[in-house]
Amino acid sequence: MSDSVPSVVGPSAGSVLDLRAIGKRYGATVALQDVSLTLLPGEICGLLGENGAGKSTLVKALSGVVTPDTGEMYVGGAPYRPRNVLDARAFGVATAFQELSLVPTLSVAVNLFLPQPGINRLHMIARRRVEQEAKAILGAHGIRDIPPATLVGDLSLGMRQRVEIVRALWRQPRILLLDEPTAALADRDWLFAQVAAAVGWGASVLYISHKLDEVRRLCGRCVILRNGRKVRDAAVAAMSDDDIFSSMAGRSVVETFVAVPPAIRPGPPMLRATGLRGPGVDDVSFSLAPGEILGVAGLEGQGQARLFQSLIGLHPLQSGRIEMRGKPAALRSPRAARRHGVVLVPEERKTEGIFKDLTTVANISLPVIARAARLRLISRRAERRLVEPITEAVDLSPRTLKLPIAALSGGNQQKAVLARALASGARCLLLFDPTRGVDVGAKQSIYRMIQGFAAAGGAVLFYSTELDELVHLCDRCLVIYRNRIAGEVPREALSQEHILALASGAGPSGQGAAMELAG
Amino acid sequence: MAAPSGRWRRALGGGPTAVAVLLFAAMYAVYAARTETATTVFGITNLLNDGIVLAIASAGLTLVVLAGEFDLSGVAVIAVCNCVVATISTFGDFGWLVALLAVLAIGGAAGLLNGLLVAGLGLQSLAATIGTMIAAEGVALLILSAPGGTVADVIADSLTGDIRSVVPVAAVILAGLCLAWMVLKRTRFGIALYAAGTDAAAARLSGIDVPRTKLKAFVLAGLCYGAAGYMLSAQTGTGDPRASDALLLFMYASVAIGGTSLMGGRGGAFGSIAGAGILTVMQKMLFALGVAEFYTNVFNGVIMIVALVIGNASAAVAQRMRRRAA
Repeated sequence: MSDSVPSVVGPSAGSVLDLRAIGKRYGATVALQDVSLTLLPGEICGLLGENGAGKSTLVKALSGVVTPDTGEMYVGGAPYRPRNVLDARAFGVATAFQELSLVPTLSVAVNLFLPQPGINRLHMIARRRVEQEAKAILGAHGIRDIPPATLVGDLSLGMRQRVEIVRALWRQPRILLLDEPTAALADRDWLFAQVAAAVGWGASVLYISHKLDEVRRLCGRCVILRNGRKVRDAAVAAMSDDDIFSSMAGRSVVETFVAVPPAIRPGPPMLRATGLRGPGVDDVSFSLAPGEILGVAGLEGQGQARLFQSLIGLHPLQSGRIEMRGKPAALRSPRAARRHGVVLVPEERKTEGIFKDLTTVANISLPVIARAARLRLISRRAERRLVEPITEAVDLSPRTLKLPIAALSGGNQQKAVLARALASGARCLLLFDPTRGVDVGAKQSIYRMIQGFAAAGGAVLFYSTELDELVHLCDRCLVIYRNRIAGEVPREALSQEHILALASGAGPSGQGAAMELAG
Repeated sequence: MAAPSGRWRRALGGGPTAVAVLLFAAMYAVYAARTETATTVFGITNLLNDGIVLAIASAGLTLVVLAGEFDLSGVAVIAVCNCVVATISTFGDFGWLVALLAVLAIGGAAGLLNGLLVAGLGLQSLAATIGTMIAAEGVALLILSAPGGTVADVIADSLTGDIRSVVPVAAVILAGLCLAWMVLKRTRFGIALYAAGTDAAAARLSGIDVPRTKLKAFVLAGLCYGAAGYMLSAQTGTGDPRASDALLLFMYASVAIGGTSLMGGRGGAFGSIAGAGILTVMQKMLFALGVAEFYTNVFNGVIMIVALVIGNASAAVAQRMRRRAA
């Protein structure tokens, strides 16, 4: 169990899942090479690696979505060659995908049973029965706040993620694959309870995550991939954080968070919001100084997304005032907000953040492209000159610039989105969970960029689902609960416990109340 | 609390379709106010006969559009079927039946070919079905190089008249079409159709066989084109390799007016049937109002855009209601 040398011996006796020398290429890119892995009954095994390390490809091979080029897979000793998700399901392999595989225009209930929701004698979907069964299934997994008849497209990202996980869980699979299950999930305890239940019925779990603390908490063993190869396979307890990070990154990572002195500057606040009200925003007031990193915390769906979007005019506010540097400012549209130097880095990178068919450089230069024009024609060289200093600030390698942005890893895409915000001359950045689904290396680049931006006098409003980011990066933290600011945690008192207590509506003293939030 | 909000949601969810039905009703009212025969059995039969070919063809096209694909071959398949009916339906006592089976076989085969090209080989549907459209137009000309041939009287008589002078046959066919859609929409295939058109990747990860779903959609659409070709023959009583030429854009107009997203995944055949009804009743209304015929297309275009604008607004309202309820 704790051998750190990859072994290519026969199917281990008693293993539930056995992968031998799996390889997969996409054109010239090697996604997986010679990866062997076993899962024992009832075991929770972590799968770690940076973005592009091959984790998702491995998950897809196991789910029947991609077919490996080489190697063999066994489930319960029998050869396993799934051609689609249904084949995998027949072998008792179920997956909660990172990209969320729910169909947005169908109801939660129908999604849970796809592709074969229950039918009546006329072969029509037995809607009421399906919804009742779905309600029972959701309830059995502790979900009572999601009506089964709701369309998935109308759910928040966090709710969708819970439904995705329940869809993988409810058939009680033998092998459960969880790909970044907490990427959009604020209530991690819920997930941990579900994983514990799965182990209770004898499932083996492959837990893919960027979050080391989760892996430490759940997994006995972890496998680390780097550049498509397995580089470690050892007991989690036997490895230090630094050990794991450096295995993932292939270099030593000294510390995740580097403490810097606060850069808050005196004078009128960069942005002051007074009594903001609107749909999903209830009497929100705060003030953001130049050089300040102001954190925003909140459990999923407490109105934080709405607040960020309302600040740049994506949703109209009914009342309230916004001032920039002491002067009233009308941020009625993203364009108007940008003119005032306020830029939002949105939650859904793929649909709201990037133009996937454009090159990276075009994605970054977009708001300022006019500056690279001579006689209205874009000069490619001027465009690069414009963009290159900014890519340095976000640690984006210059060789990515000419590539289509879709070819970049999630981390590099996010850096490009941040670079675009900087390129547009932002003085006030609204960052909505900027490190979601981003690898460790990219996270650190993003932290450095945020700190650098603040040190240069910029103001940052920073929402994150990862409490340790808020604790380590922010000067203060606002906690949102039911569309209101439930409280503010000053720098001296910043701790995860403190934030959680406020976030669950319990007030500063009542801790551990996070569980009852579901309603 | 869940039940009434669910019902509300369902009623409003068909936003654009409801708009199409209302528009149809309004135009029909204008037409009926100006024309005495409009509300007689004769008048209604006449209206239905004028619209049924477009309705059947658009309903078929809707399936392909919902799956996120295009199909341009419909009119050409209708033309082939029309020529075949005009050629073989007068042979013997059962010529009408042979012709019926033949058009369904032709439609199904054309749909299968389209489906294999798109779902099997992964060709772009717009391009692939332009190919099959041109080829089918050629086939129609091979069968009948000029308008001509004869459609068996029994076909024309039984499909364009009334049952006991009360119920138009076309109404029965239309009702059957609506019923078939109501059932189909709620089958697993119907669910898969919407899923494939909304998000093919998610559908696949959910275990849906996306290529197979698209293939089925093309085949069912082909069968509809075959039936539409048969109905066209019943009405014209003759064969014309170019009789259906004007239909192509009207099919897409019906689908769009009815609120089906040309990107796939949203809408339904009810809307397309209502859309076909709008385009048909509009001719009658404009005629009744004494508008010269050469203005007709101007109105066609304007009405289409109006329907899209209102449908869009209604969809937005419906979504806001849903979100609030959720």
